Amino acid sequence: MSEPAIHIAHMHKYYGAFHALKDINLDIAKGEKVVICGPSGSGKSTLIRCINRLEEHQKGDIAVMGTPLDDNVDNIDEIRREAGMVFQNFNLFPHMTVLENCTLAPVLARKIDRAEAEKTAMQYLERVKIPEQAHKYPGELSGGQQQRVAIARALCMAPEIMLFDEPTSALDPEMISEVLDVMVGLAEDGMTMVCVTHEMGFARRVADRVIFMADGQVIEQAPPDQFFDNPQNDRTKTFLSQIVGH
Amino acid sequence: MPTHPVIPAELPRQNVLSWLKARYFATTRDTVVTVIFAAFVAWILWSLIQWALLDATFAPNAGDVCREDLHGGACWSVVTTRWRIVLFGLYPFEEQWRSGLACAVMVLVAVLSCVPWFWQARRLAPLWVAGFATFYVLMRGGYFGLTEVTEQNWGGLSLTIFIFAGVSLLGMPLAIVFALLRRSNLPWIARTMALVIDVIRSLPMLSIMFTFAIVLPFVLPEGLTGDKLYRVIVGYALFFACYQAEIIRGGMQALPNGQEEAAKALGLSYWHRIGHVILPQAFRNALPPTINQFVITFKETSLVTIIGFFDVMASGRAASGTADWNFAVIEMYVFVGLIFFVFVFSLSRYGAYLERRLGVGQR
Repeated sequence: MSEPAIHIAHMHKYYGAFHALKDINLDIAKGEKVVICGPSGSGKSTLIRCINRLEEHQKGDIAVMGTPLDDNVDNIDEIRREAGMVFQNFNLFPHMTVLENCTLAPVLARKIDRAEAEKTAMQYLERVKIPEQAHKYPGELSGGQQQRVAIARALCMAPEIMLFDEPTSALDPEMISEVLDVMVGLAEDGMTMVCVTHEMGFARRVADRVIFMADGQVIEQAPPDQFFDNPQNDRTKTFLSQIVGH
Repeated sequence: MPTHPVIPAELPRQNVLSWLKARYFATTRDTVVTVIFAAFVAWILWSLIQWALLDATFAPNAGDVCREDLHGGACWSVVTTRWRIVLFGLYPFEEQWRSGLACAVMVLVAVLSCVPWFWQARRLAPLWVAGFATFYVLMRGGYFGLTEVTEQNWGGLSLTIFIFAGVSLLGMPLAIVFALLRRSNLPWIARTMALVIDVIRSLPMLSIMFTFAIVLPFVLPEGLTGDKLYRVIVGYALFFACYQAEIIRGGMQALPNGQEEAAKALGLSYWHRIGHVILPQAFRNALPPTINQFVITFKETSLVTIIGFFDVMASGRAASGTADWNFAVIEMYVFVGLIFFVFVFSLSRYGAYLERRLGVGQR
């Protein structure tokens, strides 16, 4: 059994005196797709933000692709190159064109030649079905298009893992499916994915495991069929009854 | 079914006369007010034109003509006679071509820096190094057979531009460093920097200039003390940097947190994040107050007068301050004011161009 893509052991995180994440233990294998869901304030975004050090954990161990996540800046940069992230608010760089957004990190962080980076970027833009937008600025695109550019931008770094922090929560309903389609395609191509999302249809379809979090703890985790059809914990049942309805 | 009345598709187009009538002559009261104010404005304009152009004396060395002039027109003669002092200060007469040339070189370098083609470090750096070197060689002399003219005798417009360019070039990188230190993750660095910035900003510019010009030579070892002019430029640059650092910091704070987070998540190093994502956007946000700061800096170069330098304002006063010409003070101030206006207005317009080009407020 090869080492897990993401290894989290006895991880605790505090915001001052507030105990945001309590004793998180999680191993995510390569190629595994994990969906994390839960009520707001449960710590799910905090958890995936700890994985690429956008938040700092105080206790416990985190290792990504074998590299330990500590205060060593080289380790942190290495982990960030291996784990791409897609944000709820897209966070595209508004002063650069779509193509420049996608080539910035490969050229600077992976030292890839610009022409080659542009070729790769165009390939990924075609994969997310918006190659014609390459020379536009993010402000000229719709929300769904921007999110797809964000996914392409993360993919251009050729990461081993993709982290999604509520990628469709800021989108109009009709644009959600175009982004989810891209994510399903990624999943089918074997990418290791950790998604924080409320899209339960997506979870059922794509996830190997669904994790339910509340109050900073992992309450329940199970394969999607078992999770949705036969939840064990009462808290899980309450949550599912509230959201699966619509 | 009854037929509908035909409604014209467009209102009839107004010609200029009807537009004027609607705006200014609609009612009797409007007409009266318009006529009175128009008459007032016309009288002021006419008096101004009379004074400045029609009754004015333009010929050089015509001081007597001016004094005897019964109509009291402007005596531009003071400008045409004494313009060299305003532009070159106390620079020796035979060498003033050097000062003029140096001034032109500086302005040329500044204009070229504004052209987008030059916006790369490897093009800007040699441009400015060459510009300053040329300026120094021309003004100072002592090389290539040029007679030496020490900094004390530099003056007028050349001096003003030199001080402004020096302060800007020294102060801007310093401002960026200060701003970055101020937002450092290490609390003691951030707090120390905040203290330094606030202390320097709280001191009057004059006291900083005095300290650097007069006190510093006693404190520093002999070799480190440059000429008074360069010390003053360093002091002024420090002052400029503190103000500009806060402006830049404001620009950075206006950025959504997600920008830096996205840059981090992509694996970009600190300097790459700062240089490619944070600072370009911060400068876009901070462009209006930055142009403001440059304008203020240009005008405040006049304060070097207190230290004994003849900037363009002091030179103007010196030019019209002699017994022959001290009745023509207004004309000299108008001339100096026009010089300032040209530079400051160009700066403001360039700022507007930059905003359009960088898409400030649009992306």
